[in-house]
Amino acid sequence: MAPTKAPAAPSSQNPVVLLWKAYNQQTPDRLKFIDAFLFFLMLSGIIQFAYCVLVTNYPYNAFLSGFASTVGQFVLAASLRSQVNPQNKDEFKEVSPERAFADFALGSIVLHFFVYNFLG
Amino acid sequence: MFSLRRWCLLALSLAGVLSVDAKSSTGDSVLVVVDPAQQDSYSIFFNGLKDQGYELTFRSPKVEKPVIIEDNVSNFAHVILLAPEARNLGKDITPQSIVELLSLKTNVVVALPTKQSPLHALAAEFSLILPPPGSPLISYSPKRDTPSTLIPISVEDHSSPVLTKHIRPVWFSGIPQALGNNPLLIPILRAPAESFASEVAVTSGSAEALVDAAEKGGEGLWAGSSLSAVTGFQATNGARITFVGGAEVFSDELAQKEAEQYVQSGNIDFVKEVAAWTFQENLVLRIEKVEHHLVNGTEPKETYTINDNVEFSTYISKWNPAKGEWQPYSGLKDLQLEFTMLDPFVRTALPPVKGAPGKYSTSFRVPDRHGVFKFVINHKRKGWSFLESSTTVPVVPPRHDGYPRFLSAAWPYYAGAISTSVAFFLFSTIWLAGEARDSKKGKAAKSE
Repeated sequence: MAPTKAPAAPSSQNPVVLLWKAYNQQTPDRLKFIDAFLFFLMLSGIIQFAYCVLVTNYPYNAFLSGFASTVGQFVLAASLRSQVNPQNKDEFKEVSPERAFADFALGSIVLHFFVYNFLG
Repeated sequence: MFSLRRWCLLALSLAGVLSVDAKSSTGDSVLVVVDPAQQDSYSIFFNGLKDQGYELTFRSPKVEKPVIIEDNVSNFAHVILLAPEARNLGKDITPQSIVELLSLKTNVVVALPTKQSPLHALAAEFSLILPPPGSPLISYSPKRDTPSTLIPISVEDHSSPVLTKHIRPVWFSGIPQALGNNPLLIPILRAPAESFASEVAVTSGSAEALVDAAEKGGEGLWAGSSLSAVTGFQATNGARITFVGGAEVFSDELAQKEAEQYVQSGNIDFVKEVAAWTFQENLVLRIEKVEHHLVNGTEPKETYTINDNVEFSTYISKWNPAKGEWQPYSGLKDLQLEFTMLDPFVRTALPPVKGAPGKYSTSFRVPDRHGVFKFVINHKRKGWSFLESSTTVPVVPPRHDGYPRFLSAAWPYYAGAISTSVAFFLFSTIWLAGEARDSKKGKAAKSE
């Protein structure tokens, strides 16, 4: 996944800034959209975990199901991203992007069903 | 003609006759065991009792009828034993039978003899320690012209819960009792601080008598106001027995004697108060009813759940001797309720409810333990009837659907799960909308 064109800016810039600029320029919009979704899910998971550790894990089942909801959704969205990424077309020959999305949607529905049952 | 003193005494005795009827809450039949020769010397006392409505039956110590206990049932509601000189009081009056009378809820007034008698054993049953035989109570002050064994005892108001009104000084002659360690004993009249118990032969009217008594050793010096001249005892079943140090307290002669200048002695009032307390007229309480229910309910539940809010009420009445009926009484300031399973989990006050006479009520939260609990009222105060009540109630844990449904401690997790679902739906909508747009663009590009 190395970039084809090196940026013309001098290398005295912060590598994080460089990374961010490269990411912004070179990632297709749809993948960026999935990345935004993934970022939101990660934030949600971190908040729930911090609450559990710092305040109370009192309804433990509620913690497990809320946390599992974000983690499971993250995993499903990440696999959608891999399967839809045009750069991975050679790996996923028999899976079209529509099939990938259908898998993603079905998996998410099942995940949410389990989450709401365990949430109590 | 009649002297001033005679007129005063006549007026006072008339006033006694016209006094209000005072009824006992447990019955009106009284057996008096008294030597017939002495019976008339207690006439003021007996007539007073008759005027109040009691039926007196007299029995001589030498005669064995009427029998007090027949077939395990007491024939009389109250008994007065006023024959201290009698050596034996009949086959059916023994210390054991008198104790059995109390367990049959018959009240007893006992006059104690100075010389050795079976009644000494009776007093020992009630944790009263009597002085050696032949040692009456002696006091040399206040200076007076009566023998040293006849002592005027001044009664302070509120010195004993049994005496409900002001009593003028009482003439007393007899033996004192030392109180043992029994919480059911109630001293009614304490011996004066400067009095002591000693053999009469020793005393010769001077301080040497006191020194002699102290040097006698043995049982120690019987002196001071820790001794009691008249002692009451309330058994756990409510029956009352009073030990009076000598029978002369009841006599007419002492009733009419002057205690202080132109002030008649308080003997009549005193023995009336003693009889009123012993015969269950005064200071008699009972629990009418006990109720428990959920705080905003009315019917008692068969079982309560943990952490329920429960309200408990009780209705207490006091016997009104003047009217002869039970009346609601809201004067108990320190009534307590215990919610107990082996140990009290909750101990709280039961205050009287304003506006509902006789009702005491409180509400509390059932503890977080399941089990079989009891609502216990256990109110014991000196002189007053004992209030005891115990209501058993099971407490169960919540049923499977009795737990709180949505916990406020879990809202971050609820928010997390719901936001994930919402985000998923939004994502899918926008993704599919994007796909539709792309495919339209693709078709348009292809068709160009």
